[in-house]
Amino acid sequence: MTVRKRFSIVAFGAGLALALFAVGGVGRADQAVPGNDEMNVEDQPGFQPTPEQEQLSGPWEKQVVFFRTTEAPGTVIIVTADRFLYVVQGNSRAIRYGIGVGREGFQWSGLQRISRKQEWPDWRPPPEMIERQPYLPRFMAGGPGNPLGARALYLGATVYRIHGTNQPDTIGHAVSSGCFRLVNADVIDLYDRVPVGTKVVIKQAQSL
Amino acid sequence: MAVFSNWLPRAAAACVVASGLAGCSTGSTPSATPATYGTASIPVDQFVGRWGLASYHNDADRARTMKEAKGQCGKPYVVAKGPGGGLMMNLADQPQVSELAVKGGDNGRTFIGPPGEPAGGPNDREVIDPSQNSFTTVWVDSDNAARYGTMVYVRCGAKA
Repeated sequence: MTVRKRFSIVAFGAGLALALFAVGGVGRADQAVPGNDEMNVEDQPGFQPTPEQEQLSGPWEKQVVFFRTTEAPGTVIIVTADRFLYVVQGNSRAIRYGIGVGREGFQWSGLQRISRKQEWPDWRPPPEMIERQPYLPRFMAGGPGNPLGARALYLGATVYRIHGTNQPDTIGHAVSSGCFRLVNADVIDLYDRVPVGTKVVIKQAQSL
Repeated sequence: MAVFSNWLPRAAAACVVASGLAGCSTGSTPSATPATYGTASIPVDQFVGRWGLASYHNDADRARTMKEAKGQCGKPYVVAKGPGGGLMMNLADQPQVSELAVKGGDNGRTFIGPPGEPAGGPNDREVIDPSQNSFTTVWVDSDNAARYGTMVYVRCGAKA
């Protein structure tokens, strides 16, 4: 079998984008910004990375950092350009996670709240992806190897989520269709720290 | 090349010698015959139709996956009968359908896969828990099985 066994995240992204534009924009997700370091990879349903592959290093590893903000402790701040998600801790500190963000044309900014949380979320390939790859299941129950990873935190009424991934090598890249992805260990950690109703600020760049 | 040109006459000579002993029949007949497999206990027509398709990896998710499959009839997976009497379906990762055979395997097992390969071959999927309105498949190839999970097909509408 020489066919590379991967599903296209490009079509997945296009589906989400179409869904977004079909409803005329979502919430305050109104500031499309250019991306860089784009990574054109495909989803790998069923792929289960090794613990070594899931171990991030350097800036992408979860860590406490100096972080000046006027937001209250507990607030989540996502800085798309830097590929970081922060949970404000107070005293000019925050827990920082490395993330994957939306590709060019799929990035956005705004203010949301965590509206729902889900362990091992299910995955539904968009219709465009089914049309191109008709052999795909139209629904894949959550579990190890699921492209959405171990946890999902839904952002308001949008189609966007903060979720896990089974592709840890995509962290630090512009890869998604507007969702924010963390390695599974990190999204589990975040899930346990962040209750429903938490304020989430999505911005392109960190303001000084 | 020299090695090959030396090898070929020796092989032919060996075949001639062997033919005097055992007819050299198995080595000289091309394997154009189709793979052998038994007749499946499930009729081909039982798989023809429009199906809601979903998958799971954990058995605990089977029941809700069956419900989800039924809810996917807006984008059904269509299985047609092929000109050779087989099923027009996709192989793993193949966007184009091809005609596949329904094969009877050992111990009453049923497989769907390329007609030129034996039942239970790496490109096959095994059919489990079949009924008029649903069936489940598991890929024989472990990599395919891991990626796609256990796939459930639930018939959309009544069987024609």
